[in-house]
Amino acid sequence: MATRNKHKTLTNPNLILIATLLVTAPLSGCVMLDEASSEDLQDGELVIVTYDVLALSEDMISGFEESSGLTVTMLKLDDAGSILDYLIQNRGNTNVDLAIGLDNTYLQTAIEFDLLEELDLDKSGMSAPGSSLARSSMDPLEPYDGPLAVPYDMGYICLNYDTEAVDGENLSVPPSLEDLTGPEWRGKVALPSPVSSSPGRGFMLASLDYFDWQSDDGLQFSDWWSSMVANDVVITSGWTEAYETHYTGGYGEWTEGYIGDAHITVSYCHSPGVESYYNGNWTKSAALDIPKTSFFQVEYASAVSGGNALYAQKFIEYLISPEVNSMMPYENLMYSVLDGLDLPEEDGYRSNSQIPAAPASIPMEDIDDHMEAWLDQWNSAVTSGG
Amino acid sequence: MGRLRGTLGSIAVLTYLSVVMAPVALALHRIISVTGFTPRDWIRSLSENYISAGVLEFTLVQAACSTILTSMVALPVAWVLGRYRWPFEPWIRAVLTLPFVIPSIIAAMGVLTLVGVHGANIRANEATWWWTLIASHAWFNMALYIRFCEPLLSTMDPRLEEQLRLLPNGRSRLSRIRNLWAPLLMPSMAAAACMTFVFSFTSFALVRWITIRDDTLESMMAEVSSSAGISGYMETSSQIVMGASMIQFTILLVCLWLTSAIQRNRQARLRLSSPRRLDSPSWPAWLVLVPAMVFAISPLASVVVGSFRIRDPTTGNSAFRWGLDGWEAAIHGSFSFPPMSNAISNSLGYALVALLVALPLGYLLAATIHRLERTKPLLSRVLDISTMLPFALSAAMVGLGVLIGVIRLNPQSLYQFWPLPSLAHVMLTTPFVVRIILPALRSYDKRYEENAMVLGMGSYARFLKIKLPLMRGPLVVSSVFVVAMSLGEFGASFIIARNSDWITMPLLIDAWRAKPMKDPLSAPASNSIATVLMLITMGLFLLAERFRSDRQGGMF
Repeated sequence: MATRNKHKTLTNPNLILIATLLVTAPLSGCVMLDEASSEDLQDGELVIVTYDVLALSEDMISGFEESSGLTVTMLKLDDAGSILDYLIQNRGNTNVDLAIGLDNTYLQTAIEFDLLEELDLDKSGMSAPGSSLARSSMDPLEPYDGPLAVPYDMGYICLNYDTEAVDGENLSVPPSLEDLTGPEWRGKVALPSPVSSSPGRGFMLASLDYFDWQSDDGLQFSDWWSSMVANDVVITSGWTEAYETHYTGGYGEWTEGYIGDAHITVSYCHSPGVESYYNGNWTKSAALDIPKTSFFQVEYASAVSGGNALYAQKFIEYLISPEVNSMMPYENLMYSVLDGLDLPEEDGYRSNSQIPAAPASIPMEDIDDHMEAWLDQWNSAVTSGG
Repeated sequence: MGRLRGTLGSIAVLTYLSVVMAPVALALHRIISVTGFTPRDWIRSLSENYISAGVLEFTLVQAACSTILTSMVALPVAWVLGRYRWPFEPWIRAVLTLPFVIPSIIAAMGVLTLVGVHGANIRANEATWWWTLIASHAWFNMALYIRFCEPLLSTMDPRLEEQLRLLPNGRSRLSRIRNLWAPLLMPSMAAAACMTFVFSFTSFALVRWITIRDDTLESMMAEVSSSAGISGYMETSSQIVMGASMIQFTILLVCLWLTSAIQRNRQARLRLSSPRRLDSPSWPAWLVLVPAMVFAISPLASVVVGSFRIRDPTTGNSAFRWGLDGWEAAIHGSFSFPPMSNAISNSLGYALVALLVALPLGYLLAATIHRLERTKPLLSRVLDISTMLPFALSAAMVGLGVLIGVIRLNPQSLYQFWPLPSLAHVMLTTPFVVRIILPALRSYDKRYEENAMVLGMGSYARFLKIKLPLMRGPLVVSSVFVVAMSLGEFGASFIIARNSDWITMPLLIDAWRAKPMKDPLSAPASNSIATVLMLITMGLFLLAERFRSDRQGGMF
């Protein structure tokens, strides 16, 4: 379900009139959202399409409304994929100004469909090369550095494992993806589907690079996924179900509906740091750093084609301002995109977060060119597996 | 007056075609323009895609098992209810048939609370999910067997059984069951079984929340709906939707045709009935009825209890406390969710719009069918069948019709058109209004009107002073039905509202529950909204019961 923070509600309706309208009025002549034609921010309404991004908190939005004079209305969808679906469906006649939450696995498709508007924003404060911080390998502008999207957070997607279950006696830390197809891991791995989950999509891309997607023979990638299905891998529709319901190493065991049958799942390489931060410097979860099994994810804010780019730009400037963006590790549980800002050290946030030594690398253009074919391959592999 | 009737009838038929049939036709056109007319590929796509592989098999098997279990649970209940004279019988019957009118999203919340960590605590074992779903379908559909079988059992001429006892083939209880009760009850049981199969086959909210990764065709269509009907993007979604819709429509059509044929047979046998003679219940009868009452009430009571029970996240899963926090969260809303009052006012508004359109439309269609039965029987039959066709459309298919067929004509305007979700409710409820009104019109005694004409009453006066009061019962029942169905509608609204800011009570219940369960208020808040919706539905149900003719069989 999608929700807006300002819901249109029938408070004092003339229902008979509305019912009559339903039958008699031409549907195309209905109430339309006023397009912002004036640049007077005091009277403007900024419409944002997003998913339930934690960073877009009530305080953060009201802070923007106070400083800009704009009123913010948010259309909250299920996930990044839903944002892309919405923008494609409403192409050319959208009333949305700003899209927040498309990541580098979806962005190129949005660009190809001509859904986004160019912005003129200074991104110099985001470049990471030369930084002495541990995250110097994370350059938010590396996947995309054009005028159509601005990064606002980032992180590596990778496998996480439960260090209490994977203790070297009952289960040993798998040194390769192939190990996960062995009998000791039967039914103990939960992976979100790349069809319906961003982290799932990121991990599928990483697994492609792991098995060398550029080689003519894509069989190894398909074979691995088929073998995982044969090994009773739990494939979930979203990250939440995999991490909360099935993974034994995270906070899921404190939630209702917890099953706890998987000791490895897909999350972020800094998820153990988040666990530690919220558990008073304690976690049993750890990131699994197998070469080319992690994927660098960057999330973007973009002005939507046909919307008010000025309003969108104002919000993005606010979103990447040091006051707001430096809070990303706390508010959004992701890295800030600003140069010089790392995860906080308190309560083991940074020390339990890992930067993968050899992440997967697939250019965004290739992702767009091949994504449907790769999803088809993945689909064939998992439907024929087992 | 005759000309006016003809004009109104034509307007009704045209409105029906444009409001009920056109969205589906437009959606079909749009999806076929994406996929091409390739039925074989549509069907094949179901097994070739991970999201849809195995879904048809799951849907069929769970529907068949649900039907079997429902028969096993509900038949003894219908038997004891029909064969004995019970204290507070109208109340007992109301309680036992209540589950069928309760919105399925409420049932889902109730069942989750019952089997959850503070209930039976079997939820952590994934192997229990299947049986939880089957039992939930038995709970939901038990009323069908009572509605279909109990009137026959209670009005059966006792002399038939007495005479059979004297014959060699009727001396033992088993032989009487074989030679009398089974043949007499079989049509009613078969009709109830067909409808149970249909409702289990198209189950959405219960499947979405109980079996999670195992979808029915209905819930799977809802999953892929947001990317269906778009050229050059995720075209597999369109193929899956077409394949699933085609199979679902065919199966539903066959089931409904079977039900209709069986019911005709049943009605012929019912003429054998005579006033009932009932005994006081024996202790085995109590042993059937009391557990059935507990079974019927438990999920509903657990919704209410669950709205006050707050999990304590600091002390592990097992600890909880009692409080109003869930109600407060639901009433005030949060940054992610609107307050409950928004959902209530929207839901009531949608229900009112649906009522204002579906009731006159359904009445005029029924009146037109009835009028044409005498003058143009073939045309009447065609119209009759066309008003039944939407029964073979599930809520998800109707939702897809509105989303892909209507909203995508002009999303910018139509997403702003507040009453649009009512369109789906009108599509779903109008056929039911026709089915309730038509038999009443057929049984309406024309002599009242003829006498009034002799007394010099005009046509409008006759309609207002004679026909309308005599039709009050069916009109109230259909109105209540439209409002209740609209208030509890979930499948179509889920698809339509997914990419919009429309909110209804069932959608808000679903949204709260879908919030990551780290928030201890997500379950109690969803249960508190479910409690409000349940109370409204129960009130409407009791109102309808007052206007139903005594021991009326069938679903409505």
